[in-house]
Amino acid sequence: MIVTLHLVALALYGLATAFVLAPFMGGRAAPRVLTIALPCAGAAFHVVAISQLTPVGLGPALSMLAFCLVLLQLASERLLRGSAVSFFAAPLATGLVGLALLSGLAPGAEAAARNVWFVLHVALSALGLALMALAFIAAALYLLQFRELKARRFGQVFQLFPPLERLDRLNRFALVLGFPALTLGVVLALGYGAQFSGGLHAAKAQLVWGIFTWVVLGWAVWVRVVRHWAGRRAALASIAGFGAVLLVYVALKLTQPGAERFL
Amino acid sequence: MGIKVVGVNHRTAPLDVRERFAHGAHEVPGALARVMAAGASGGVLLSTCNRTEFYLVADDEPALEAVWSLLGERLSASPAGGAREYGYIARDRDAVRHLYRVSSGLDSMILGESQIQGQVREAWEASRAQAGPVLHRLFQTALHVGSRVRTETGLGMGTASAASAGVAVAGKIFGDLAGRSALILGAGDMAELAATCLSDQGVQITLVANRTQERARAIAERLGGKAVSLEEAWPHFATTDIALCSTAAPHAVVTWERVGAVLGARRGRPLCILDLAVPRDVDPAIAQIENVFLYDVDDLQTVAAQATARRRDEIPAAERIVEEETDVFWAWYGGLGVVPTIKELRQRMDDLRAVELERALRHLGHLSPDDRARVEQFSLVLLNKFLHQPTVALKAAAEEGRGYGLLEALRRLFGMEPPA
Repeated sequence: MIVTLHLVALALYGLATAFVLAPFMGGRAAPRVLTIALPCAGAAFHVVAISQLTPVGLGPALSMLAFCLVLLQLASERLLRGSAVSFFAAPLATGLVGLALLSGLAPGAEAAARNVWFVLHVALSALGLALMALAFIAAALYLLQFRELKARRFGQVFQLFPPLERLDRLNRFALVLGFPALTLGVVLALGYGAQFSGGLHAAKAQLVWGIFTWVVLGWAVWVRVVRHWAGRRAALASIAGFGAVLLVYVALKLTQPGAERFL
Repeated sequence: MGIKVVGVNHRTAPLDVRERFAHGAHEVPGALARVMAAGASGGVLLSTCNRTEFYLVADDEPALEAVWSLLGERLSASPAGGAREYGYIARDRDAVRHLYRVSSGLDSMILGESQIQGQVREAWEASRAQAGPVLHRLFQTALHVGSRVRTETGLGMGTASAASAGVAVAGKIFGDLAGRSALILGAGDMAELAATCLSDQGVQITLVANRTQERARAIAERLGGKAVSLEEAWPHFATTDIALCSTAAPHAVVTWERVGAVLGARRGRPLCILDLAVPRDVDPAIAQIENVFLYDVDDLQTVAAQATARRRDEIPAAERIVEEETDVFWAWYGGLGVVPTIKELRQRMDDLRAVELERALRHLGHLSPDDRARVEQFSLVLLNKFLHQPTVALKAAAEEGRGYGLLEALRRLFGMEPPA
């Protein structure tokens, strides 16, 4: 059932991705209602699937991350009219659900799954990562639109991407919310480890690189909030932050492969 | 009576003629009263810079003649024929289709422009007291058609003039333009038009700078800014969001020497410079500053041309909606007079039957009361049989939108008065 629901969500996200990217492949832009309704329908199946999952391991984590990303995509579309977010978010979410299916999804009954600290840790971490991804997407869209505007090119990017100011606001919003969410997620993991799991089970590499990522992300937020960076510089800082997260994750997965845990 | 539109537009009359025909809001009731005194039962006057059109519920003459005469008086050589040669008339279904095309921007000088929708609404509101039920319905549906075309097709997509393209480009930098500030260099027509476009979007025009102050002052007063000399304008490049340049200078006036240092003080805040002048007002080197976005008239015309090309692709879809909605309106209009006309026809026939029955029965005094009742019943059945088929045909024609023609025929055949 979980796999079937994920497959339905995958199909709907995939279809939404195809519609969203159609203008870049010479097709007509799909009606807005379709590009909202399809991810909404996908998210409805997805949430039912997630409610039956045990949030332990790589597959469930990726699935939750994809779900948070779709929710943020819909929210930014609705609240900030940032429809172009879906150019990146839709394929990314589709890919993450695909990876989750490949990594394996099955209902489980691990004790950790019933612990509030653990569930909150997973939910906040997924939300924090999705917000960081959203900040990265907004920053990437900003840089692309900035380049086109400076170069006086008025093609698809100029037409379809949101204004610079709106992308800058979206980036700031995602960073400022994402970093505390991610930090709280880590704190909850530490608390869970200390309280229920007899200490923190993490390799030194995980700790060192985890702290490094946190510092880089913290710097990206600090320059935005305290130093009032905006525009292109802030976008680059945000991309650097998310790039660090990705690099560290890939490096850790390469040194410690396996699907039994997310990190 | 039928629906008529009579008037002139940007295709049939040059600007100087259209200017003379244009009616201010305060002139509308008087003009309509005059046309209605000539026999129209309802009227709406749509007057914009691109068209002056009277929408009427009227017989062909003399209401139309009154329109030509009214417009003709505004020409220097005033005969009605003078106005007529610039104008056109569309009748009934064509008149409905015409208004729907107007409100959806299909008939606009700039294809798909949205301003006309508001102008149609204003015209309807200004003529509300004189419009009458048919034109009320027509204008109400015209606004609906305009909205449908804009939401269901891409006819209103993008921007199709250099001035509005400037607004669009600025919008891509700042998002919502409301509350942004702009300074205007130059006080020509182009500067005024573009400044008005910005002002319409909520941009605050803070300064109008020009070599001669008089014209700058007039624009500044209209748009709520302050008139200054060009030299006084340079320091304001440090704070403004948008600089709109359209002077008649033969060389660049916004140079690195004049504004380079000032722009450095912006601390990364974006500045959008729209250079609408030919030759250009702004030294291209200014665009090298990171957050300065500089666009000249060629750039803006590129944006406008792309939008127009995209809009043209949407014409068939928009025309389909107009045709569909014209059918719906025409069906409603066709059915409008059916019920009262059928009632009137039956009443007339029944009166006739009663008179003839009475006359016949006077000669048939020997009949028993039962037989007299039978004869009366016979006359009623006969009348119903005669009227059944025309009634059914009229109702069916009304449902198909063809009722209006049949009603006219019926009224003429049976000598019935047209409805008030």
